[in-house]
This record gives sequence, structure tokens and C-alpha cells, in this order.
Amino acid sequence: MNTKRDILQVEDLTKTYGRGANRTEALKGISFRVLEGEFLGIMGASGSGKTTLLNCIAAMLKPASGKILLRGQDISGFRGDRLAAYRGRSIGYLFQEFELLDNLTARENITLPLALRGVTAGQAERELQTVAALLDIAQILDQFPSQMSGGQKQRAAAARALISDPDLLLADEPTGALDSRNSRVLLDRLAEVNRVRNKTIVMVTHDAGAASYCSRILFIQDGQLFHELRRNVLSEPREAFYERIVTVIAQLGGGSAHVL
Amino acid sequence: MFFKQIRQNAARSRRDNGLFFGSLVTAIVAFYTLLSLGEQDVMQFLATIESDAVGKLMRMLPVVYAVSLFFVFFLVYFACRYQTDSRRRELGLYLMLGMKRSRLFGMLFCETLWSSMLALLAGLPAALLLTEGISLATARIVGLGIIGHRFSFSPEALWWTVCGFVFVQLLSMLVICAGLGKAEPAEFFRAGDVKRQEVSSGAQSTAFLCLGTVFLLLAYYLGIVRLQALELGVMIATVLFGIAGTFLLYRGLGGFLGRRIRRKSPDAAGLWTFTARQVQENVLSQHKPLAVASLLLVLALSCISFGISMGVGGSVSGRSVDFSLFGEERQIDSCLNRDDIRGLVGESYPLYLSHVKDGSVFDTGGLKAALSGIGGAGNIIENCSFDYVIAESSYNDILEHLGKEKLDLSGGKAALYSSLIGKNEPGTKLQEALDGRVSVGIGGKDYELLPALCCDNIVADRAITLYLGLIVPDALYAQLAKTPEAYCRNVQLRGDVVEKMGLMQAIQNMDALLAGTGVTYDSYLGGIGRNLFYAVAAGYLTIYLGVLFWLIANTVIGLKYLIGQRRTGRRYEILAMLGADMPSLQRSVRKQISVYFALVLAAALVSSAAAIAAMFTSFARLPAGASMGKAAALSAAALLAFAALETFYIRIVKQTAGRELGRLLAGELSHGRRMF
Repeated sequence: MNTKRDILQVEDLTKTYGRGANRTEALKGISFRVLEGEFLGIMGASGSGKTTLLNCIAAMLKPASGKILLRGQDISGFRGDRLAAYRGRSIGYLFQEFELLDNLTARENITLPLALRGVTAGQAERELQTVAALLDIAQILDQFPSQMSGGQKQRAAAARALISDPDLLLADEPTGALDSRNSRVLLDRLAEVNRVRNKTIVMVTHDAGAASYCSRILFIQDGQLFHELRRNVLSEPREAFYERIVTVIAQLGGGSAHVL
Repeated sequence: MFFKQIRQNAARSRRDNGLFFGSLVTAIVAFYTLLSLGEQDVMQFLATIESDAVGKLMRMLPVVYAVSLFFVFFLVYFACRYQTDSRRRELGLYLMLGMKRSRLFGMLFCETLWSSMLALLAGLPAALLLTEGISLATARIVGLGIIGHRFSFSPEALWWTVCGFVFVQLLSMLVICAGLGKAEPAEFFRAGDVKRQEVSSGAQSTAFLCLGTVFLLLAYYLGIVRLQALELGVMIATVLFGIAGTFLLYRGLGGFLGRRIRRKSPDAAGLWTFTARQVQENVLSQHKPLAVASLLLVLALSCISFGISMGVGGSVSGRSVDFSLFGEERQIDSCLNRDDIRGLVGESYPLYLSHVKDGSVFDTGGLKAALSGIGGAGNIIENCSFDYVIAESSYNDILEHLGKEKLDLSGGKAALYSSLIGKNEPGTKLQEALDGRVSVGIGGKDYELLPALCCDNIVADRAITLYLGLIVPDALYAQLAKTPEAYCRNVQLRGDVVEKMGLMQAIQNMDALLAGTGVTYDSYLGGIGRNLFYAVAAGYLTIYLGVLFWLIANTVIGLKYLIGQRRTGRRYEILAMLGADMPSLQRSVRKQISVYFALVLAAALVSSAAAIAAMFTSFARLPAGASMGKAAALSAAALLAFAALETFYIRIVKQTAGRELGRLLAGELSHGRRMF
């Protein structure tokens, strides 16, 4: 019996770009559910629609039809304050290129989502120190992004995404701009956040190594779900899961289709 | 196809960037206004009476034109850069699609020429309207009351306007294209380099800030206290300290803002920290343009103040008498009775003004005693003697014509006359002395002086001044006057003639008729010609330069901000992703613009106040007869106009920035993403 609740429900989601002859269907009726505390990976070839899917969940794009429910609430009806609250409070977003504001210090960047809700940096100090310790960036809080390494920037961005204690952390190729060592450090930290704080993470990635940190992976092709892999985190080592991912990629899509 | 594309691109540029197009039109208006100065009514009139001086001014115009070209270049350059900057991706795409750089730059140049042509079509009618307006307004301000105004159009001014404008436009594009020529196609696809947040040491920025403040204070001190001696060394030191101080101040301001942000941000919520950091970044990366803009505003305000003070001198027309005719009564009568002249003359009256008879005894003890209590009146006390007397009836004729209340000198009264009024002039001290009850002795009898100093012009030629005279009742005048005959005959032109022909033409017609009669005469306009010329020339040119500097300073600040906002556009997308709503982002942008402008304006206003104070304690004086109250009222009006225009300009920049933000977040600039 599954004791975990659904945190996210995506039902028959479609998204089209263009009109008439130029009409392109990016998502063709995708449906899936995400359980609370899950670390979900979304994989697919370029143009398969995975980033469109993530952007729809993040309310950066409006779907053409279908529903996205977070904790049972349909986000498609959100406007104005509710939309801003959804973006700032309910979800955290981790970009491939970090997207830190380069004229703000790490401290100011991280506390920004709270400041937007009217919480002062002084009031947010405790949360700040907690996420900074979790992501090992306490020593760079007063530095500007130009003074940080790529890994530090991405961890600061992760801290910013987590400080509001969102229901859902969305990550779009978070290791795409990092070297292998910094990628590993970041993913270790994200896995720890997922495990220790029971934080739900949905991560889009090309990288089988990054995907191996997930507990479930959805494979998307041409806007449709075509495969799913599950991992028993307690019993299956990451290396073994990695082998299965690579095998699926090779069997189902042709490995080269997943390489940019 | 190529030309269609050029037209379409240019049309889009105009539509998207009203500020850019507005700057181009402004440049055209500025050029034509300056170059057509010689065609203006006032100048045309002045050329007939002060041809040498006007000639000198006209020879000076090319220099002012060259200076204007230099400054307008920056205005056009920043406008073009803003424009090109917003099209970087598009230009990069042309290159990637195989367009040669030469063809790309050719296209940009053709677009520039096309925009120039359209800007000229829009700007020239505006310039013509403005010059006509200025011509009429100047004439009105200086009291010419021109009705015989003719529409003037100067082909030469048009030619040089077109040449100068196209030259400046093409030069700006050349400089911009030279920069783009070195860039790799990939660089076109980047939104432009965002300068890294400079992490200068606190001590360094504090040192800059303190040094800047000290230099500025030193410049203010030198300007206000030491510049009175007008020594070249002091003047150079004042200017150098002022410029260096301004640059250092802005150099150190970024660090100061950073420390303030660190101190305040723990208690700040919302977008306060972001807004403050945006302002700080702008100050850090653009401290030089900010200093230049601030100095330009100081120049603008100083020029405009100087211009107004000069203009006030020309506007104190006090047109009490149109002509003063000298000669025998009979000769003047026959002259005024000529048919052609009689139709122009409204009224005429003799002016009784004379040296006092030898041996007349005046007791000036009371006046000296009153003057002794007034600082700086030592010279007046030394030279306090009455050499001239004026008959009460003559002065009352003048007052009647001016619509003022007549004097009543019955019951042992007299009045003091001096035409030398104005700041530091004897008349002003005399007026102060008269505030108490003062009497003078004439032939052993005491006459009480009226409490108001009389200072209206008693003859047509305003160049004739009278240091000190006494207005006495006619009977007493007959006793005191050395020559009992009238000094001259004052003539007023008929009101309906002046109204119909305009004062200038009416006087010129009368002048032409009198010239053939052999009678010696002075005319009101002949007398004020030189004064008027200096007032108009100095006032007009300095106000012109002032407005030009103001426009350029604002364009620099406005466009620098907008370029910065475009480069950092992604930040607003991230903020939206983090939960910032559109109204708070709009508020942040508006606040940034307000603070950005305020930082420039605050320093400029303080420095301008010091510069104006320095000017009026040294080389600039209100001209003789100019009313301090009128100058103050005009200055206040100018300051209000400045504040209104500045508010209007800031509003335009805010609207442009808001539109840009709206477009950015609506997805146009964000790779098809729709944020709101």
C-alpha cells in the first residue's frame, strides 16, 4: 500500500506552438503523477517536449489543454497574486545557467524569494543559514556571482530555489553548465535535500549520470510518454540504475538521439 | 527589396523608439533655430541700428554652430547606439545568413539617411514654428510690440541644418559601426556585456567620495568668495576643482551606495535590495557619463540664468518717450506740424531740465545724514550735490504717459531723481536713504523729499543717464534753472498708429520723416539699440546653449538607463519566475529611474546654485535699471519650467522603460516564453 500522497498531477496536457501550417504539437496529451518526496527525472531527445513540460508546470508557459494540479489545485486558473505566490512559494526553479542576479550578493540572491513576500533578510537569516549549510555555501554568502565558481553559483541558485521551502523543486538541466566534479557535488546535495527534507524534485536532464540520482524516470518522445523506469532507492545501487538507464536509451531511442 | 527592408526597419525603429526619433528631431530644431538667428525680426531690426555689433555676432555663429555640432553629436550618438543595441540579435542573424559586413553596414547607413530625411521632414516645420515663436516672444519680451511681423525662412540655415544633421548622424553611425565591425557574430547574439559588479574597496570609494566633496566645496568657495577679483588663475582653479570634484564624487558614490545597501538590506523587503543594487550598478559602471551629464546640467542652468538676467536688462524698456527733439521751439513746431508727421504724433510736451544757476544754495545735510547709515554709500555722500533740476510739470507729463500717479509737490516738497538704479547703483542707496523722512534746504528753505525715488526716463535716449537731480515745483524751477527754455520736446507716437503698424515700424517711419527735417532728435529705439542688442544676443545665445545642454544631459541619462535596462532584461524575467508580480517590477523600474535622475540632478542643482551665486557676485550683473524682482520672478518661472520639463522627460523615460519591460515579460524578447 502506497502511503505517500500525490503532490503533482498532470492530466492530458497538450501544448502547441504556431498556427495553421506552422502548427507544432510540443506536448500531445501527457499524463502522470508525482508522489510527495519523489525525485523524478524527465529524459528525452532534443525537441521531445521535456523542457516545455517543465515550463508548463512552472507556469512559464500556458498549456493548450489539460490540467496541472499541485496539491489538488489547478494552476491554469492562477492569475496575478496567486500566480506570483505559486511561482515564489509553491515551486522552486533551478535553471541550467544558474540565473543568479549578478548585481546581488549570494545572500541577497538567496533571500530574494522571501523578500518578494515581504520577509526581510533579517527575518530570513535562520532559513538562510540552514540552506547555506545544507548546500555548503555559508562562506560565500557575501560574494557577488562574478566572484564564485560555477558550482558555487549553482548551489547558491539551489539555495534560492529552496529557501521558500517550496512543495516542488523543478530543475532544468541543472548540471548542464557544470563540470563533472561540480555536477556530482550538486546532485549529491540535491539527493540529500530530497532524502533528508523529503523535498519533491522534478529534474529534466540529458545526462544518464545525473538521471541515476532519481527514483523514477519518465522518457518522453515527440511530446508523448513512451517509457518509465523505477528504482528502489534502498535496494538498487545508483550504478546499477545508471546501467538500466543507458540500456533503455540505447534500446528505445537509439543512443545518438539523446546526444546533442 | 533592399530598400523596402531599409524603409521597414527605419519605420519600426521610429515606432519602437519614440525617444530616439524625438532626439533626432530635437537636434534639427536646435540647428535651425541657431542658424536662422540672423533672419529673426529682432536681429533684422538691430542690424539697421547696430550693424557692426550684429555683424560680429553673426561671425560668431559658426563657432557656436561648431560647438552645437560637437554636443549634438553625443545626443545623436547615444540615440543611435541605443537603437543599434536593441537590434544586435537581428544584425547577428543577417551576418549568419550570409550578409557581408559591408552590406550590413551599408544597410545601417541607408536606414540612418532615411531616418534623417524623415526626421528633417518632421523637424523643420517644428523648427520654423519655434523660430517664429521665439522671434515674436523675444520681440515682446524686449518691448518692441511687433505687429508688423513677417514670416521668415532662411534657405542658408536650412542647408547648414541638413548638412550638420546628416554629418552628425553619419559620424555617429560610423563610430558605432567601427565598434560592431570588430565583433564576432556570436557577440551579436548576446544581450550586450553586463559589467561585472565592481568590488572596489570601501576605503578607496570613501576616499573618492570625500575628495570629490572637498574639491566641490573648494570650487564653491573659490567661485563665490574669490572669483570677484576675476583673476584668471582663480577662474581656472574653480572650473578644474568643480570638474574634478564632480567626477570623483560619482566615482565614490557607488561604494557609498553599496555600504548603505548592506546596512539597510537586512530590514528591507520586496524589491528594495534589487532596486538599490540596480541603481548602484548603474552608478558604478556609468560614473563618468553621470558626471558629464551632471556637469552639462550645471552648464545648462548657469547659461539659462545668465541668459535670463541679460534678457531682463533688455526688457526693462520703460518706454516713456518715443522721440526727443532738440532745437528752437519754432523749428520744432513747424516740423511737428508737417502733414506727414502730424498724423503720427500723439502728444508732445517740452521737457524742462536744466543745470542749476550759479550761486544757488542747497543744504544736503539731511540727505547725507540719511545716507551715512547705509553701507557703501560713502561715494554718494562725497558727491552729493544737486547740479540738475527738473520741472514738476514735465515729469508729470512723463508719468501721465506711463499711466502712473502724478507727483504732488505742493506744500514745500521736492523729489529726488536718479536714473542709475539697479544692484550696487547709487539710485538704490538713495532709495534706501529716502525710506526715512529726509529734507533738503533750497535757498534757506526746507523741502521735504518724497519717499519714492523718481527714476523714469525723461528723454527718449536711454543712454543718457542722470546721476542725481531734483524735481521741484515749476515756480521754484524758474528760480533755480540756469536756462529757463525747454531742454527738448518729448514726443509720443499715436497709440492707434503704434497698434496698427507695430512700434518698430512706427518709430522707423517717424525716424525716416524726421531725418529730412534738419531737426536734431533721439529716438527710443536708437537709444536702447545697443542695450537691446547685448540683451538679445547674450540672452538668446546663452539660453539656446542652456537648452541644448539640458537636452543632451537628459538624453545621456535617459538613454544610458534604457540601454542598461535592456542589457539586464533577463533579470526581470528571473524575478518574475521567483514570484515578482508585474506592478512591483514596474514600481522598481520607475524608482530606479527616479533615483538615477535624482542622483544627477541633486549634484547639478547644488553646483548650479553655487555657479549662479558665483556668477552674480563676479562678472554677471543685472543691467542698469533691471528690476531684481522681475529677474527673480523670471528665474522662478524658469526654474518651474525646468522642473516641469524634467518631470516630463523623466516620465517619458519611465513610460519607455515600462513598455520595454512589458514587452520583455510578455515574451517578445524572451525566446517565445510568456511570463504573464
